[in-house]
Amino acid sequence: MMKTKQLFISVTVIFCFAMTAVSFCLAADKTITLWSHWADHETKRAFVEGAAKTFEAKHPGVKVSIIWYEKTALYASLKTALRAGQAPDIFYAEPEQSEYMENNLLYDLSKGLKWSAIEDWAKEAWSYKGGVYGFPLEAWTVELYYNKKMLADLGVKLPPSGQLGQAAFLDLVKKTKAKGITPISLGAGDRPYPGAFLTHEAILKKLGLDDYDKLLKGKLSWSDPRVVSALNYVKQIVDAGAMPPSFSSLKLGESHFYFHTKPGSLMFLMGSFYPSRAFNPPDKGGQPPDFPLGIMQYPGLDNAACNDCKSITIGGSYVVNAASKEPALAIELLNTMVTPEMGNKWLETVLVQTGIKADPGKIKGPYAQYFRDLADASKGKKYYLDLPQGVLRGKAKEVFAQVVNQAFPAGLIGVDEVVKQMNASFKE
Amino acid sequence: MEVDQERSSLFRHQRSLDQPLGSIITFLLPAVTVYLAFTAFPVIRTLFNSFHRVLPGKAALFIGWDNYISVFVKDDIFLRAVKNTITWACLSPVLEVSLALLLALALYAKIPGARFFRIAWFTPVLMSYVVVGIIWIWIYNYDWGAVNVLLRGLGLAEWVKAWLGNPKTALWSLIFVTTWMWTGFNMVVLLAALHSLPSEVLEAGELDNCGWFKKLWFIVIPMVRPTILNLLVLSFVGKMKVFDLVWITTKGGPLWATETVATYVYKRAFEWSTFDLGYASTVASIWFVIILSGVLLLTWLFRQREKLEY
Repeated sequence: MMKTKQLFISVTVIFCFAMTAVSFCLAADKTITLWSHWADHETKRAFVEGAAKTFEAKHPGVKVSIIWYEKTALYASLKTALRAGQAPDIFYAEPEQSEYMENNLLYDLSKGLKWSAIEDWAKEAWSYKGGVYGFPLEAWTVELYYNKKMLADLGVKLPPSGQLGQAAFLDLVKKTKAKGITPISLGAGDRPYPGAFLTHEAILKKLGLDDYDKLLKGKLSWSDPRVVSALNYVKQIVDAGAMPPSFSSLKLGESHFYFHTKPGSLMFLMGSFYPSRAFNPPDKGGQPPDFPLGIMQYPGLDNAACNDCKSITIGGSYVVNAASKEPALAIELLNTMVTPEMGNKWLETVLVQTGIKADPGKIKGPYAQYFRDLADASKGKKYYLDLPQGVLRGKAKEVFAQVVNQAFPAGLIGVDEVVKQMNASFKE
Repeated sequence: MEVDQERSSLFRHQRSLDQPLGSIITFLLPAVTVYLAFTAFPVIRTLFNSFHRVLPGKAALFIGWDNYISVFVKDDIFLRAVKNTITWACLSPVLEVSLALLLALALYAKIPGARFFRIAWFTPVLMSYVVVGIIWIWIYNYDWGAVNVLLRGLGLAEWVKAWLGNPKTALWSLIFVTTWMWTGFNMVVLLAALHSLPSEVLEAGELDNCGWFKKLWFIVIPMVRPTILNLLVLSFVGKMKVFDLVWITTKGGPLWATETVATYVYKRAFEWSTFDLGYASTVASIWFVIILSGVLLLTWLFRQREKLEY
């Protein structure tokens, strides 16, 4: 009897110790989960993984588990996981995904994140009904790159402002085409936005920031004479043969190659994330080492409200899941990336702009001049914060992708059809 | 009385041996559970969702027939998707099966290199739609794709097109791809059916001086008719649900020329910046009914009125 009692007490004590040890271990090993796009973007992965290691070193007992995806797969997984309450603590998102905010799925970062180290315009992009919901890591503007040598060979000189007038730009397109060179490399084969750059930048300049915003929010008709005038100008450029014949099926990566290597085009209207591909070695799809890259301004339009306006958009950002059990730690992980040093590191290694306050003047290395040129091209500009794809919703977004991104610049439809389709899309 | 009770007991015992309820349940339970969880429940849930607005973290909001009315009255993209899908689903089975029958007959007649051709024609179906899509994006490429290179080489430069980028040619280009891909599969099935035909009937036809066409029309086709029907139904259902190829190549563009109902459902569920599954469920439910009706119609049209005897 005594033996049985002793055995019972021993087992109970061992069990209690074991349970305490297990619970201690569980408490000590917290894991912050992060799902991110950029599976095939080596430099971006290195940047985020570096920050995660720094965070782990500062927080013993906390691990960061990162799963890298391609964007489409990530979005599909997230939509399912969020519905099922199984999403990670932190995930990649872009400000256009306001459905996350509309459905209260994101944690408000307005108090935890070090906003003093983030650009105001970048913060603005993630502001929604009094809260701020995303850490804007990646940013880019729409830029008109060109081949300096080719332009010189055509005998055209840019004005000091770098901005040709409406007629001069159209002449340049015609002149280039007459020489058998494709004037502008652009493709809409795999993205819903680059084909629309030419059109929405013209409309933005013609309308100015406020009316452009109204247009994208369905408060201004696409039949407005200024919109029609901008569309007519773009139609002239398209009809002059500005685009590659393979425009409809040309993919984003291919359009880069088309511009700088084969067959080569005079200009390339692209996001300022251009260097993330073009500054790779040529055998990895980068531009030739001696490529004479220049940045000019999108042409100024006649009677435009704002020829200094251009589009800027926040790309890859990180958000914290509203259902996260460790929001403070998740925000702390993001704060590891929010320093001027990390901002400069992003510019130097990823070669794309960022929402973190950084100083391009401090960048050294072979691409320092590029960042100075980009900074010059951005001086005195007024920005519309987002691309149409980010502002439009539902059917208008789908129609924009099919009509303005693809069919119109491909020369498949005219101005009247664009106006009709876009106006109709806002009626639903 | 006792005899009656004994008989009754014996009868119950016999019935329990004939229909052992425990065993029936044990054997059926796994299959029924899987069926209920992965087929019946999703279908019922989709139907339920189609009458609701379904948002994460909120109770489903009943909206009656609103989604159904919107689909039929306001949604012109859905109507285009239906038109494209039905065009595809009606044309492809006919093309695939008729070409497959010709190829199967060629192999059945033991043309030179039959073994090689059997493998070569069957190979496309072994590839996934993703691989096939990428290959055909290259083949249709405007600048260096095989089609345009060939046309330029033949001096037909004016026929050169962005095949997938032109609304007039995009859908037909994709129909060609699925025909290329699936003809080989249909051919193998038909070849098996041809080999199983009783040789006496064919020999009797030959004795009656039947030419090859009459033999094909009056003997072979009627005898492989059930196989043809099954292939037509399979192909029809496959094309009514086609998604992968379109998603890889055109994402429904240009100007919705290749939009199918499946790509449209996906866009509405995951791409239109909304979490609402209700509308996408409505489209999916309507399409389920249409596919079911199509299959029943095909089965009725091709029903065997007289039993073949040989």
